[in-house]
Amino acid sequence: MRVILVGFGVIGRGVIKVIKKKREYLKKKYGMDLKVVAICDSSGAAIDEKGLDLDLALEVKKKRGRISEYPGKGVTLPVTEVIRSVESDVLIEVTPTNLEDGEPARTYIIEGFKSGKHVITANKGPLALYFQELMSYARRYNRIFRYEASVGGAMPIINLARETLAGNEIIEIKGILNGTTNYILTKMEREKLDFDTVLKEAQELGIAETNPYQDISGLDTAAKIVILANSIMNMKVTIRDVKIEGITRITPEALTMANKGGYTIKLIGEVKRNKLEVGPKLIPLDDPLNVKGSLNVAKLYTDLAKEVIVVGRGAGSIETSSAILSDIINIYLQTSKG
Amino acid sequence: MILLDLELKDSPGELLKALTPISEMGINIHSVIHLREKKSDGKVPVRIVLEDLDEETLERIVERLEESGIVVTKVNNKVRKMDVDVVVIGHVVDTDIRDTIDRLNKYGLVVDLDLTMPHPFKESSARMRIVVDSKNLEDLCREMEKLSKEKDLLFIKSF
Repeated sequence: MRVILVGFGVIGRGVIKVIKKKREYLKKKYGMDLKVVAICDSSGAAIDEKGLDLDLALEVKKKRGRISEYPGKGVTLPVTEVIRSVESDVLIEVTPTNLEDGEPARTYIIEGFKSGKHVITANKGPLALYFQELMSYARRYNRIFRYEASVGGAMPIINLARETLAGNEIIEIKGILNGTTNYILTKMEREKLDFDTVLKEAQELGIAETNPYQDISGLDTAAKIVILANSIMNMKVTIRDVKIEGITRITPEALTMANKGGYTIKLIGEVKRNKLEVGPKLIPLDDPLNVKGSLNVAKLYTDLAKEVIVVGRGAGSIETSSAILSDIINIYLQTSKG
Repeated sequence: MILLDLELKDSPGELLKALTPISEMGINIHSVIHLREKKSDGKVPVRIVLEDLDEETLERIVERLEESGIVVTKVNNKVRKMDVDVVVIGHVVDTDIRDTIDRLNKYGLVVDLDLTMPHPFKESSARMRIVVDSKNLEDLCREMEKLSKEKDLLFIKSF
């Protein structure tokens, strides 16, 4: 199976490392010969229809910072041109998230479908803003569209709900879908520190981004809730429909108050009929949603299986790439049948 | 059989206070179960199992219990009254806490209040426990939203 990778930042490099690591395993277990035929970043691309040397690609990116300097095979074509002209089975789109207009990821995904490729993305922007449109392209061109890595990183949730829990109606999903805010609240609670101090520390440790706005404002969680609502619960909503409150006003005193009453405070995303909400909530100390550190957790209420709870790592390049790999394998298994 | 879930204070005589009106009405009590593992904030949930009753008698029992200050949380597993907790962040006192409580009391009853004020210029936090009829829960939420906008308070809810 041939894949094109668009986006060669932290996640993109994680995907390449995971493919490298699992290549033999995939061959043995599934008989899959996985080739990366193109890697694109903002500088251009490296293209080899026989399959790129992945070690070399990582090295070029590390030393030169630009994949277009890949020896002999580097080009400065625009990404859309690469997607259109290079033959491959799957497009993996992992460019940075843009929650304003979903670009350029939206265009790349659509180009992928138009040129006959199945698409995998980890990108919340286009999914939270243009889910219906992207699905309609996938249908029109009869291609598979998968995006497990967009919500909860390595924590299985989308495919869990749609495949493993198939037959169940999902009535409600509630959980912590942002590791950074969970880390901050956990630390504030344990060490009685104020929000700004813990945020600064989290930034120094690389847990929070230099611009943490999307995380602490609740926007990142809102995007994920929208993806879950559309993909699992058949709703037709966008991020503009979510009521959002972030965690910037939480104080250590409020956490102590909550603790005294047998609760903790978590940034919870919640979706059910007539409710699409992100905000700090009181969670009983003995509730399974009270997970610590940067973990993610989700509770799915279903009609038959009742509550199902998953916990996992919501971030990290290798962790997120594991979700992308599961999508690759799934597409391979679906398309190689008969 | 009828199941009545009550919430009693964890002190002597409380159970008797609940059982007396029932027996005075000549109703047979099958069993009394203490749900001590669910105890919270000094309240013990107790389930009373009664013989089968018609709707009207059942309603009379519930009324009598409530008149004597007992919280009936569920009737036959249907939620009737619930305890909700909120932590409020903001200038809780300066924005007239009396008025905040009065307005919440229109839809429920604030039964517990805990307050912390770290510094006169900093935002304070309050924890409230509110007993509310399940049918009034939405109205209570709406009132909290109004208060939140008017007084710039953040309500962190347990529900």
